[in-house]
Amino acid sequence: MERTPATRLPSAPELPRPGLGALRVLAWLLVLGVIYAYGWKVTQIDLVELATKWSLAKPLLVDLVRPDLMERYPRLQTSEVGIGLEGTAPPPAAAPSGPGRITIAPTTPKMGDQVTVTGQGFEASRPVELIWRDQAGSTATVGRAVTDAGGGFVARVTVPKVIGGENHLIAQLTLEGTVLGPSNTLRLTLFRMVETIFLALMGTTMAVVLAVPLSFLGAKNLMSRSPLSMSVYYLIRTVFNIMRSIEPLIMAIVFAVWVGIGPFAGVLALGVHSIASLGKLYSEQIESIDPGPIEAITATGASMLQIVRYAVVPQIVPPFIAFTIYRWDINIRMSTVIGFVGGGGLGFLLFQYINLLQWRHAATALWAITLVVAVMDYMSAKVREKVV
Amino acid sequence: MGGAAVRIEHLTKVYADGTRALTDITLSVKPGEFLVIIGLSGSGKSTLMRCINRLIEPTSGKIFLDDVEVTALPLDRLRQVRRQIGMIFQQFNLVKRASVLTNVLSGRLGYLPPAWALTNYFPRDLRHEAIRHLETVGIPEKAYTRADQLSGGQQQRVGIARALMQDPKLILADEPVASLDPATSHSVLKYVEDLNRRQGITVMCSLHFLSLARRYGTRVVALKAGQIVLDGLPHDVDERRFKEIYGEEALEVEIA
Repeated sequence: MERTPATRLPSAPELPRPGLGALRVLAWLLVLGVIYAYGWKVTQIDLVELATKWSLAKPLLVDLVRPDLMERYPRLQTSEVGIGLEGTAPPPAAAPSGPGRITIAPTTPKMGDQVTVTGQGFEASRPVELIWRDQAGSTATVGRAVTDAGGGFVARVTVPKVIGGENHLIAQLTLEGTVLGPSNTLRLTLFRMVETIFLALMGTTMAVVLAVPLSFLGAKNLMSRSPLSMSVYYLIRTVFNIMRSIEPLIMAIVFAVWVGIGPFAGVLALGVHSIASLGKLYSEQIESIDPGPIEAITATGASMLQIVRYAVVPQIVPPFIAFTIYRWDINIRMSTVIGFVGGGGLGFLLFQYINLLQWRHAATALWAITLVVAVMDYMSAKVREKVV
Repeated sequence: MGGAAVRIEHLTKVYADGTRALTDITLSVKPGEFLVIIGLSGSGKSTLMRCINRLIEPTSGKIFLDDVEVTALPLDRLRQVRRQIGMIFQQFNLVKRASVLTNVLSGRLGYLPPAWALTNYFPRDLRHEAIRHLETVGIPEKAYTRADQLSGGQQQRVGIARALMQDPKLILADEPVASLDPATSHSVLKYVEDLNRRQGITVMCSLHFLSLARRYGTRVVALKAGQIVLDGLPHDVDERRFKEIYGEEALEVEIA
């Protein structure tokens, strides 16, 4: 190495006088003070309210720790017969759920007729409800009875005026005790949970299908060959940026107006937003691939297809998968919120429960959201770890 | 099997931005030679190598591999020539996320139907051959390791195995040891020398260290600003010549 001769350092630039500096700091502090004071006022921050009115939130918070999960149901036993009205053959009846059986006489009644219902083999001294189910599936209680010591009963029932020939008469016996089962809320929540997961899956898939081809058009290294391709690049990137800046929540409102309230609106909202987010991530990944392997594979005499397969694909596919799973994870979180504005899924359910002040039901939905998001978060982290 | 002869006639390369990388290069390399190319960074060594297999399109001039005019070939014929030319890079240029075996096998792609690539299919005998080449460079046990898990020297040996997979008549080595430590540099160059001596493969290799050039080369060509300033035997490069090539301030650094 050549030795550089020692040169005189240029003199330091003149510093502002200390008095002026302090004044400047003071002025900045004053401006900051005004900004925060105004912010405090505008956002109506009220610490007193926060401290004194916590009791208003108490029922909500208490119910949060006891979500509506299980319910006690009466134990029931049923037996049914098919009845054909107006010349229709008697429809097949479902198998009885216990030892008890019922028969009717006459077996082919007409509307308005009196029918004798005889039950045998039931548990003794239990109440029986006689239910008529018409062809459309709607039910009505048409009589009541109590079983005798031998487990039998006799009741008279008037055939109601119904539309449609295929009818059923059901005897429903209430047994002693109750059974514990998942509550209606829990069942509904689980159904909506599946809806939420699939909502996010469909939205993400829709985004991937469109974002993959678009991302190649939005990659600078591929598009910098001619002014035309460069303008395509700028167009794609601009569209990505605009679409990305619109919150999925806003899009969900628009799509709920367009295709109606429901999960489909949510799928569209998440999908459109994700196209832009994924497209940008994919493009940047394509821009950052190492040209070295492409050069090396080209030098072996490989064809275009082989170059793409062995030099390009290995570099972009694992990160693409990682981004996609990450996006799915985000979309599951988003889909719970999107429900609030009509996008379907768990959020929609939660919104309804909150509006009806059903806090225990709302708690069930809230816990379900937490569970889904936590599990997906964990799984996506695991998968990403493995792929990249 | 033997090496190929390379003949370069009046080769000039001017890049799109106006940079003149090579000016009127004329050079003949005999079969089986170990030609070392020296010169400063930016003197045109890499451009010269890449013009031979047309990774870079020459602006003018002709290049012959044996008697085939490489510069006149259409793309499909060019691919048949490229597969006879193995290439080794300073940055190894392995596909980092793929296994070592896949990296070695990819050297054979020029001989295989492109459609096989869709299912990542390589015949069994090629897999065995790939393992044999890994044995040649001393790392058969790394076949199923991901390429980025290997040390620099091991990665370069995979690069050599990949070039071997091509059954090359010519090996272009673009500063193959510039990213490696001295001890590893020797072991890598010894593998290249071995191929040159035993199989007669012609080698064109750019190097930064004169000591390595003297140790491995059978002939030395020096480039300066895109022109040949020296063409001779390794021991012809003395102190005076060295300063001509690398400039007055340069000091020769020894590599053990």
